[in-house]
Amino acid sequence: MKRLLQVGLLGLLAALAMFSAGCKTRPKNVTALPGSEARAGGTDLPAGKPLPSGGNTGNGFAGTSPGARPYNPNNTGPGVDLPPATDGIDKPIGNTPLPAGGFGEGRTEDRETLKANVVYFEYDKSAVKKSEQIKVAAVAEYLKSHPDALLTVEGNCDERGTEGYNLALGERRALAVREALLNLGVPAASVSTVSFGEARPADPAQTDAAYAKNRRAEFVLLPANAAAVR
Amino acid sequence: MIRFTNCRQGFMAALVAVVFTCHGWAQEASIVIEDKVAGLVPIHISGYTGEVDQTLKFDLEVAGFVLVAPDKARYTLTGKNGTQVEGTLADSARRAVLARSYPGGTPRAQAHSLSDDVVQAVTGRPGIARTKLAFKHETGKRNQHNEMVSEIFVADYDGANAFQLTQDGTVSRSPAWQPGHRTLFYTSFRPGRPCIFSHDLATGARSPISNFNGMNDGAAISPDGTKIAMVLSKGGSPDIWVGNVDGSGLRQLTSTREAESSPTWSPDSRTLCFSSSEGGGTRLQLISASGGSMRPLNIGGLRGATEPDWSPDGKWIAFTRMGGGKNFEIYRVDAAGGVAERIGEGEDPSWAPNSRTLAVIRRQGNVRKLSLLDAFTKQPKDVRTISGSCGQPSWAK
Repeated sequence: MKRLLQVGLLGLLAALAMFSAGCKTRPKNVTALPGSEARAGGTDLPAGKPLPSGGNTGNGFAGTSPGARPYNPNNTGPGVDLPPATDGIDKPIGNTPLPAGGFGEGRTEDRETLKANVVYFEYDKSAVKKSEQIKVAAVAEYLKSHPDALLTVEGNCDERGTEGYNLALGERRALAVREALLNLGVPAASVSTVSFGEARPADPAQTDAAYAKNRRAEFVLLPANAAAVR
Repeated sequence: MIRFTNCRQGFMAALVAVVFTCHGWAQEASIVIEDKVAGLVPIHISGYTGEVDQTLKFDLEVAGFVLVAPDKARYTLTGKNGTQVEGTLADSARRAVLARSYPGGTPRAQAHSLSDDVVQAVTGRPGIARTKLAFKHETGKRNQHNEMVSEIFVADYDGANAFQLTQDGTVSRSPAWQPGHRTLFYTSFRPGRPCIFSHDLATGARSPISNFNGMNDGAAISPDGTKIAMVLSKGGSPDIWVGNVDGSGLRQLTSTREAESSPTWSPDSRTLCFSSSEGGGTRLQLISASGGSMRPLNIGGLRGATEPDWSPDGKWIAFTRMGGGKNFEIYRVDAAGGVAERIGEGEDPSWAPNSRTLAVIRRQGNVRKLSLLDAFTKQPKDVRTISGSCGQPSWAK
């Protein structure tokens, strides 16, 4: 049973990778890096081409397909699922400009709806780990089914860096998550970022476990209809 | 007998009698710090009590003196405090170098004036005892967003007379003085997201300078007081932007796909130094304030350099080296590049107007202390008058 689950998860990840490579417009200004993930240098597949495995039918990204598993925070909490060797290398972030002008002004923040999808990072890294991509996919799914909603991605750090460095690192983390959302088809105008550096620790303890919880990106939803927010 | 140990590193070797200038310091005094015991000047202080005594000792220790017994002293400072502070400074030959009284003002202010005169008489350079610092201060409280609330404070350089400038109840950070003005720039989350404000200290009025989506941080005002450098991520990556101090006329200086942070200006307001991260490493970069390509500052191959701060005399760039984990060290390097010299523990250095003393932050357990570090003698002196955690000191110039 456990083995079946693992195979299923692998298939899902493969499907995610394929779709992030194929079913989006390739971002401008992104130079393919040798050996990088498919999203940066992959070949554009025609939309809707059936995937070789995983059982998804290929319209949209895998997260929207029936059978996509919801993220279970008990399975992939901080400190679990260390990335494979190639995963810890930070890629340059995408340089997709943030929305101009006012963003979500007058809207009420909703921190509940997407709170199970907090994205965790490795120490001193801003790359979205493979283990965390399923959460980004879930958020992208939500946004695509709520096209009027806006989203702020909040980047946070543990305290093991200078403040000046951590401010930038937190922003890089938020931008990396934003870029991942954009690559999954979320409109660039819907997502903004903010960095708290080390000012908003999830756990103020000075332990490795606490640090792992603090290296994160949180999602703040700005729904169009404020009345619908709890 | 005369030993010019390391002029390049700013140590002035001594034997008096000769008017000696190094790095273009125009000296009128003929006495310079002698280069023994890493430059510490032994002094004996007597006759003072209470706050005046503590203030004098703090000031002079920050300035590179070490308090010793009379027979070990190269200088003796004797005097008294009552209605006014009085002081006589004598050298080891018992010649009076200085004899003054200080009426008016508070006893603390009188003591600062005396120690500044002592520093001037012994080193030939103005003291810093009457300068101001801005910094971030955390009370340890969290607000409804679970943020560590931090406010901007302005205080005397020794932490006395601390004044809370902001009351935003949220994250406020990255204070920066506008040189020659009583205006402070900083980032506050008061509007619900980071916004750079300019805050007139005289009137208390503040106005938003930069509130783009994404990051608005790291404000640094050019020494001529006319331009602001900032870190904005509105272009999709944290980049250095420069504009007028009111936020108009913005121009993007860097357009890398890595993150830039902590810009600092050269004294002629023409060049910026900043930290750039790439693949987990960081390096210091230089760029013309009018644009062009950036070039790395040679720091002798040292890795993990962040938070550069350019000395007012233009000679040095101090920076924090991240040695992994919570190991932070202050270095300085010749602004033209070279081998960086370790000065001591700490992070986020800010030069005093004397281009010698650095305000830094030192982590002690879960508390972050403001500390003053003398680049000549490497002597640290913690500011003990402030409880709670401080961060991001900015020395008024």
